[in-house]
Amino acid sequence: MATATTISPSREFRDEFLRRGGGDAVRCFQCATCSAACDLTTPERVFPRRQMLWAQWGLVDRLASDPSIWLCHQCNDCSVRCPRDARPGDAMQAIRALVVERVGAPRFMAQLVGRARSTWPLLLGLPVLAWALFILVVNGFAVPRTPLVYGDVVPVWMVYSVFLPAAAFALGAAFLGARRGWAAWGEGAARNGSLLEGLAAVASDVLWHRRFRACGAGRPRWAGHFLLMWGFIGALATTTLLGVLMDVFGVKTPLPQVHAVKMLGNASAVLLGVGVVWLVLNRAAGGEAAGRTRAFDAFLLVLVILVVFSGIGAELARLFLPVPVALAIYVLHLGTVLSLFLTFPFSKLAHALYRTLAMAHERLTGQRSPS
Amino acid sequence: MERVGVFLCTGCDIGASLATDKLEQLAHTSGAVHVASNPCLCAPEGVASIRSAVDAGTVDGVVIAACSQRHKQQEFRLDPAAVQVERVALREQVAWTHPPGHEDTQALAEDLLRMGMVRAKKMVPAKRMAEAVEQAVLVVGGGLAGLQAAQAAAGLGHPVVLVEKSAELGGYLAGVREVVPDAPPYDRLQQSPLPDLLRAVRADPRIRVLTGTRLSRVGGQPGQFAVEVEGKAGREEFRVGAIVQATGARPYDASRLAHLGVGASPDVITSAQLEPMLASRTLARPSDGKPPRRIAFVQCAGSRDAAHLSYCSSECCATSLRQVMAIHQAWPEVECAVFYRDLRAPGQIEHFYRAVQEQSRVMLARGTVEGVAAAGGGLRVSVKDSLLGERVEIDADLVVLATGMVPNSADGELIRQLRDAKNRIERNESETQRKAAEELAASLAHHEGTEILNLAYRQGPDLPVLAYGFPDSHYICFPYETRRTGIYAAGAVRAPMDPAQAAEDGWGAAMKASQLISALGRGETVHPRSGDFAAADFFLQRCTQCKRCTEECPFGSLDEDAKGTPQYNASRCRRCGICLGACPERIVSFADYSVDAVASMIKSIEVPDEVDEKPRILALLCENDAYPALDDAAMKRATWNPWVRVVPVRCLGAVNVVWIADSLSRGIDGVILIGCKRGDDYQCHYIKGSELAHKRMENVQETLTRLSLEAERVRVVELARNEMARIPALFDEFAEKLVELGANPLKGF
Repeated sequence: MATATTISPSREFRDEFLRRGGGDAVRCFQCATCSAACDLTTPERVFPRRQMLWAQWGLVDRLASDPSIWLCHQCNDCSVRCPRDARPGDAMQAIRALVVERVGAPRFMAQLVGRARSTWPLLLGLPVLAWALFILVVNGFAVPRTPLVYGDVVPVWMVYSVFLPAAAFALGAAFLGARRGWAAWGEGAARNGSLLEGLAAVASDVLWHRRFRACGAGRPRWAGHFLLMWGFIGALATTTLLGVLMDVFGVKTPLPQVHAVKMLGNASAVLLGVGVVWLVLNRAAGGEAAGRTRAFDAFLLVLVILVVFSGIGAELARLFLPVPVALAIYVLHLGTVLSLFLTFPFSKLAHALYRTLAMAHERLTGQRSPS
Repeated sequence: MERVGVFLCTGCDIGASLATDKLEQLAHTSGAVHVASNPCLCAPEGVASIRSAVDAGTVDGVVIAACSQRHKQQEFRLDPAAVQVERVALREQVAWTHPPGHEDTQALAEDLLRMGMVRAKKMVPAKRMAEAVEQAVLVVGGGLAGLQAAQAAAGLGHPVVLVEKSAELGGYLAGVREVVPDAPPYDRLQQSPLPDLLRAVRADPRIRVLTGTRLSRVGGQPGQFAVEVEGKAGREEFRVGAIVQATGARPYDASRLAHLGVGASPDVITSAQLEPMLASRTLARPSDGKPPRRIAFVQCAGSRDAAHLSYCSSECCATSLRQVMAIHQAWPEVECAVFYRDLRAPGQIEHFYRAVQEQSRVMLARGTVEGVAAAGGGLRVSVKDSLLGERVEIDADLVVLATGMVPNSADGELIRQLRDAKNRIERNESETQRKAAEELAASLAHHEGTEILNLAYRQGPDLPVLAYGFPDSHYICFPYETRRTGIYAAGAVRAPMDPAQAAEDGWGAAMKASQLISALGRGETVHPRSGDFAAADFFLQRCTQCKRCTEECPFGSLDEDAKGTPQYNASRCRRCGICLGACPERIVSFADYSVDAVASMIKSIEVPDEVDEKPRILALLCENDAYPALDDAAMKRATWNPWVRVVPVRCLGAVNVVWIADSLSRGIDGVILIGCKRGDDYQCHYIKGSELAHKRMENVQETLTRLSLEAERVRVVELARNEMARIPALFDEFAEKLVELGANPLKGF
C-alpha cells in the first residue's frame, strides 16, 4: 500500500482565495472540461483541473511550488467552456496573485501590494507626494527660464538619487522572489541546463508572444499586450540610451524631436498608449473571455495608464500648457513611475518575471517541446 | 354464447388483402347467426350496425374481425352485461403483415376467424362482485409518508385510521428541524413540513390516530379487511377497505462499520446521531463535549458495498449537504469536509448542492474513505481514489457517517417458511424431515417476531419483498403496488427516498387505495386488469387439494381450509390466471378465459396434412408486453411466417400445459410462448408468471422427450415491450427449426 500523504487544508488561504476572485471556483465539480480545453494539459499534468482542486482544498504549498500556474496566459478557453461557470481562468489569476504575495520579499511590501483593493491610495499617492516634497525642499519648484525645461526643476542627480535605489530595491526583491520560486519548482522536477540556457530558449516565445497568440477566447488580448510589452522595452531602452547620452556624451535635454532617441521614446509612448487602451477596452467589453477584473488587475492597469499618459502629457504640457499644470503632470509621472518600480515584484507586473522563469523551467525540464 | 354475430371490417387494407366474401361464407358455415361487413367498422355507421344487432337481441356474442384488441377500444365498447365481445386482429396479424391475395394469407385469416368465433361461443356472461365495500383506509406508520397518506385519503373522503407503534407521530423527521428544499429557488434550507402536517392530521375529524399501537391481525380481503389492533387502549377491531403501509426505514446498523472507526472513538457518529445536535443547536463532540473544529462527512458509509448494503440509498448525499448547510449557518467557524464516491444530488437538489458549495465553502472531496482511526485526541480519515491521485489522510474532530436506509419491512414469505418449519418440527413425522426443518428454522430465526401487518393469509403474514427487503412489485411501472391487492407501500419502506419523495408517495399510495375502494364498489378489479370484473371460478368438486394454486398465486388470493382446498378471495385476485395455468385438474376458469375456450380455439385451427408441407405453429403471447410488441411490429409492416397462429394470453403463467398437449396431438408442429422478462429484474406484470411458465414448459419438454417427440417443439421466449424488431425473426427461426425437425408425427391421428 502506497503511503498516504497527510493533507492540511489552509482555511485562511481558501478564504483569501475566494475573496480575491476565486469565488466561482467553489462550484467546480472536477469534470475536467477545462483541461480538455487547455493545451497546457499533458497526460501527466492535468491543468487546470488539479489546481482548481488544490485551491478548493486550500493546499497552498502545492500551488506555490507549481510552475504551471505561471504558464497559463489566462486565455479563458477554460472559463468559456466551464459547465458550472466556475471560471478556472479567473481562479488561476487569483492563485497567481496569492502566490506572488506569498513568495514576495520583503513580506510587508508583498502584503501591502496584495491588498491593493484598500491600499491603492497609499501605493499611488505616497510616491507622488514624496516627489513633490523632495522638489519643494530642494528648489521650491523654482522655474528659472521659459519655455519650461524639466531638467531645470528636477536635475538629473535628483532623478538618479531616487530611481537608482528604487530600481535596486525592485531588482533585489525580484531576485529573492524568483529564487524562492525557482527553488520550489526545482524540487518537483529535475532541470537539465542552466537558467541562462533556459531563458535563451524561451526568449523568442516571449518576445513574439507565440504562446499568447495560440489562445482562443483570450486572443483579442494578445495584440494589446504585445504592444504594451514592446512599449515598455522601448521605454526602458530610451531611458538607458538617454542616460548614456547625458552622462557619457554630455548631451543636454530636452532632445530635439528628430533625435533618434527622442523618436524611439515617442514611438514607445505610442505603443504603450495604444496597448494599454486596447487592454482596457478588452476588459470593458467584458464577458467570460476577458475574465473578471479584480484589484490585482485594476491596480496595474491604472498604474500603467497613469504612467503612460502622464508621460505623454508631460511632454505635451511643457509646450502647450501653463507651467504649473505641466509641472504637476511631470510630478505625477515621476511618482507613478516610482510606484511602478517599487511595486513591480509584488504586483501583477511580476508575471513578467515569474512567467518567463516558469517557461524557462518548463523548457529545461523537457516537459514541453518548443512551440 | 349462443348467438354469435360476426362483424367484418374491410378497411385498413383488410379488404384489399383478403377474399372477404369467403370469410363471410366461413362465418355463416361456422354457425354465426348474423354476418355483416363494413368498409369502416369503427366509424359511427359501423358501430351502429353492431349496436343495432345487439339491441335487437339478434346476437349475444360479437366477433369483431378488424384490428387488434388494443385499438378502437372506445368505439367497440359494449355493455358486458348484454354481450360478450371477441376481437380478431385481421389487420395486424394478416393484412399488414402478409402478402395480399396469397392462399396462406387467406388460410391464416380463416383460422383466426374460426378461433375467434369458437372463443366467443365459449364465453359466458360474468357476474360482478357485489360485496359491501368499506370506505375506510388504514395507514400503518405515522412518519411523513404515513401522515401525508392519511391526510390525502381523508381529503378524498375516506375515514382514516392511522396506527403508529411508537408513542409519538413523526418518524425520522420528528428529530429534524430543516429539510432539503423542495420548492424554488431550491438553494436554502426549508422548514420541515412535519409540524404543519401533524397539526392538520390531529385537527382532522376524519382521521383517528392510534399511537403506541400494533396490528395483531389483518384478515379478510380488500374492501373488507378485518383489522385487529393492540395498544395502550387495549384491543380493538374494525374494518377497512384498503391499507397503506408506510413503515419507513431505519439507518443501517453502524456497529458493523468498525473499519470506519465506529467503536474506536465516540466521536464517530452517524448522520442520524447528528440530527439532535443540529435540532437543539448544541454541536459537541461526544468524547469531551467540546465543539468540533473540523467535521468529516463520510458518504456511502456501508452503502454500495457488497459486504453491507449493496444499493445506494439516494438521499444520504442530500442529507449530508443539508447538515453541512445547517452547521455553516449556526457555526460558521466549523470546517466541514465531505468525502464522497459520487455526489448524488438528483433533480432540483442540484441547486441546493451548488448553494452549499457557494455559501458554506465546504471542502467537497471525491474519494473513498478507507478507514477512520483515533489519532492524538482527534480522528484521522484515510481516503483512497481521491482526485489528488494519491492516498491522503486528513485530521478531523468529528466524523459523521452517512449511513444508508434499511426498510422497516417484514419478509412475509420467509416468516411463513419459518412457521411451516416449526410445524414440521412439532409434527416430527420423520427424523430426516425434522432435521431439515430444524436447520431451516435456525437459518430463518431472525425473522421471528418481525411481523408488521400480521395478515391472516395462507402465504404469510406480511408483504412479499424484493431483493433488499423492499416490498414492491415493480417500482418503475407500478409504484405503490405490492403483491397483496389493496395494500400499498409508501415512503422509505418502498424504496430509499428523501422526505419530499416520501410525502409524494403518501399521496400516491392514498390515491391508489382510494381507486381500489371505488373499483371494488363497482365490482371491478384493479391494476393491471383494471375494469375487469370476471372473477375466477373454482369447480371445487374436482379439486384434489394439490395446493399448486394456493402456493403459486402471486397475490396471496387463495387461502386453504384444513384439508387444503383453496378458498378464493375475489377482491384479492388480480385475474392473472396463474391458478388456471397451475391447475392439473383444470378446474379454474374465467367467464371470458378458460382452459376449454383456448383449447377449443386450438382445436379450430385447420392443420394441413403432412404432404402439404405447411406446418402449423401456435404462438401464445402475453397480452401485457409481447402482444403489444407484435402490434407494433405490424404497424411497422414487419412480415413473418404465415404458419403462425397467435393466441393472446393473460400471462404466460396463465397457460395451462394441456393446451400444449392439445396442440401437439392435433398435429400442430410447434408451440412458441412469448412473455415478459423473468428473474431479479422481471418485467412480468404478475411477478411470477413468466418464471412459472418456464418451469412448467421444462416439465412439458421432459414429457415430450419421453414420448419420443422433440423437446424443441415447445419454445419459451422472453421479450421486452420495446423489442418488436425481434418478433419476425423469432417466428421465422422457429418455423425453420420445425421444418428441420420434420412434420409432427401425430398429424392426422
